[in-house]
Amino acid sequence: MKQFASVFTCAGALALSVALVGCSTVQPWQKGNLAKSEMSFDHDPLQTRFEEHTYFSKEGASGGMSVGGGGCGCN
Amino acid sequence: MKTGSILAAAMALPGMLPSAHAQVTVPNATLIQFKYLYYRDYQDSGNRITVKSPALYLLAPISESWVFEIGAVYDNITGASPYYHTVLSGASGEGVEDKRAAGDITVTKYFGRTAISARAAYSTEDDYKSVAGGLTLRHATPSQNTTFTLGAGYSSDKISPADGPVFTRTKTTVDGIVGITQVLSKNDTAQVNLYYAQQRGYLTDPYKALFGVDQRPDKRDQMAALIRWNHYFEGLKASLRTSYRFYHDDWEINAHTGTIEWAQELPYGFTLTPSVRYTSQSAAFFYYDPVYDAALGPPFPPGYLNNPNGFYTSDQRLSAFGGITPGIKVAKSFVGGWSIDAKAEYYEQRADWRVGGEGSPGLQDFKAQLYQVGVSKKF
Repeated sequence: MKQFASVFTCAGALALSVALVGCSTVQPWQKGNLAKSEMSFDHDPLQTRFEEHTYFSKEGASGGMSVGGGGCGCN
Repeated sequence: MKTGSILAAAMALPGMLPSAHAQVTVPNATLIQFKYLYYRDYQDSGNRITVKSPALYLLAPISESWVFEIGAVYDNITGASPYYHTVLSGASGEGVEDKRAAGDITVTKYFGRTAISARAAYSTEDDYKSVAGGLTLRHATPSQNTTFTLGAGYSSDKISPADGPVFTRTKTTVDGIVGITQVLSKNDTAQVNLYYAQQRGYLTDPYKALFGVDQRPDKRDQMAALIRWNHYFEGLKASLRTSYRFYHDDWEINAHTGTIEWAQELPYGFTLTPSVRYTSQSAAFFYYDPVYDAALGPPFPPGYLNNPNGFYTSDQRLSAFGGITPGIKVAKSFVGGWSIDAKAEYYEQRADWRVGGEGSPGLQDFKAQLYQVGVSKKF
């Protein structure tokens, strides 16, 4: 539990620093590049699903992108 | 009047502003996507699993504040999975043939800069059923430069192995996520997610338990911290996507996973994306190396007779290894919202590719090829 707590503290500090760096305001009309599909974190939903599913069934680690994904008997 | 200010003035008209993906705004187009995945994995001793999967995804804004998403996939699985370490079940006639059908639906309601999504998912195989659901809340600041995400999910799974004595076991998963997505500059966006999951119930691999020795704890607490950063290179017309995930669970698996993707825009609507993923993990505390009990022989670990009810696994997925996936994707978009894409990836796990420690000895390298072809239409 101690390790969980320290990891969460570090990640929380990191999240806060990202938020603070982001205080430089980007105006709506400056978001043309950010609006490009390739700049999205989910630019290809089915590709993400295939790859997450593959790694989920072949590795010990998983998670971090969404919740309520459900399981499978994948071997 | 400068071109820039004309553009700014035009963009200021309602409906003309670009919508960055970090924002909470109702999607302005319907997306339908079809993909076909061909997957095969193998080791030096022979072929193992082959999976052929057609899949469909639909995202449809049905009013100014409601959005529906539907996903469906059908997996056709053939081959042989190992029952302990890298000994093939197929080699002894225990081939695997399974079909998996899975579907999910997500409904999102937008309240200005806030969106609430409800998701339900179902997956069925001969020997495994899963029912899952989740709620996710997203809220953006007035500038739409910061988005907060909060989510909780639940999954109830039923396992009934097709071979050996008939029994049914259950497993439940409760998970949660908190995240921040931040626009850092007109060319940078970043995301930090913290993820936590609690699994309870039957977490053993039933086939490895039937044909080998596999006894796992009935609880598993997992956490992951995911950081993603995308940068757009204006001069090069390319998007650099990076991610890093730290994973830890109470089975004592620690894993580090990083990805880098370079999406290069090319003439005539082409995009070429080379990518690489690297992962490294430690072994579960109850994983045993392929060294067997002197009296009992394989698959029994040394000392098994003294502690037959202890925790043991010979599952390669819970061993210590490193894995690399190089990949290349080519996509072409057409006028009218159509686009097609193809992607090829090669995946390999090796014990000695693990960073920061020794990998698990005595296992064959694990290799896989993934091929995806897709078509999508926006309208």
